[in-house]
Amino acid sequence: MQVPRLHLVTDFQVCPFDRFLALLPDLLAAGVEAVQVRARELPSGQLLAVVRALRRVITPPAVLIVNDRLDVALLCEADGVQLPEEGLPVEEARRLLGGGRLLGRSVHSVAAARQAAAAGTDYLVFGHVFETASKPGLQSRGVETLQAVARAVSRPVIAIGGVTPERVPAVCAAGAYGVAVIRGILGASDPAATARAYRQALEGTGGV
Amino acid sequence: MVSQWRGSRLREALRLYVITDRGLARGRSEVEIVRAAIQGGATAVQLRWKTGPLSEAVQLGRALRALCREAGVLFIVNDRVDLALVLEADGVHVGVSDLPAAETRRLVGDAMVVGFSPETLEQALAAQAAGADYLGVGPVYPTGTKPDAGPAVGLEHLERIARAVRIPVVGIGGITAENAAAVIQAGAVGVAVISAVVGAEDVREAAARLRRVVDAALAERGA
Repeated sequence: MQVPRLHLVTDFQVCPFDRFLALLPDLLAAGVEAVQVRARELPSGQLLAVVRALRRVITPPAVLIVNDRLDVALLCEADGVQLPEEGLPVEEARRLLGGGRLLGRSVHSVAAARQAAAAGTDYLVFGHVFETASKPGLQSRGVETLQAVARAVSRPVIAIGGVTPERVPAVCAAGAYGVAVIRGILGASDPAATARAYRQALEGTGGV
Repeated sequence: MVSQWRGSRLREALRLYVITDRGLARGRSEVEIVRAAIQGGATAVQLRWKTGPLSEAVQLGRALRALCREAGVLFIVNDRVDLALVLEADGVHVGVSDLPAAETRRLVGDAMVVGFSPETLEQALAAQAAGADYLGVGPVYPTGTKPDAGPAVGLEHLERIARAVRIPVVGIGGITAENAAAVIQAGAVGVAVISAVVGAEDVREAAARLRRVVDAALAERGA
């Protein structure tokens, strides 16, 4: 399965589930390729219901990815799992997930990126590249580290954290294959138009 | 592969069921506590992980998995079915806000024991129909360990459920060596404890005392 370039990450505090579900068709039409469900505040049972509901809307070629919970991903027949850096081990996750599904991992350093790539992840999510309201008070890791990560591994690297459509050329120039966005889209006054702007910015870079 | 923990073997393994809790461990490691609990007579151990990085739970789980396997003790993981699968645990335990029992069974197949904590008799019967292997019913007595567990449901509630289902029931919540016998008399095959063992000064002795009470009560009941 091809690694998507434009990932939308859920945050039900920023955009409640009902609103998210209502926005989704337009966002997918605007060029969002993957939705990563991240909802650590939800008990497993509720998370399962949420991912199931999203699975009905997110159909191929759109990709549905579950953060952290491999069990929920398997039950919902999601297209992939995004493991936190401190999540399940990559090798075991791959064994349980099988081939044909995407396995991503969040990394915050070159060392973690190397390790995750060697263990068999399909792609890496590196961040946060810029200051972001999603990680208040945390020092951003910058474009330079993104570049070091992208150079250190042969897997696609997705940049996350404060990436605006205007910053897409810079992160792609640093070696990012794609971007993952939360507030950049969900917090925008016109989420679908903004998703289109991301999409166009990515297409302008022509990929890796 | 079909789980070896079936029938009488499972009932035996549910006699003294110890649940880990880092907060009550008084700075001692979970491994240290579980080892002492097993020496004292614990028959099942549940890894309960509510906060902190999952990678730490994997590390701890591997150590507990090894300890339990060596001692022939049932090793259960709470809530995270994926973690249970990664650790090759003997079973997984889910509650009403977790993955439903039927979905849990779908994920683990016949290879694992599935435990469920019902709040009502209806949920207990539904879980049994969905393939749960045992039930954890409580809180039998008031408890401070699980602030989310709600008010004590009492022994009558446990008795009603134990009579209605074919699968074994363990009591949980505020159980000590002083009040454990009544839980068995109400129809439980064993007791699940956190603070009574994990929080004890002498973990091994606390487990041994509880185990003696449970064994005596079961013998008296003719179970």
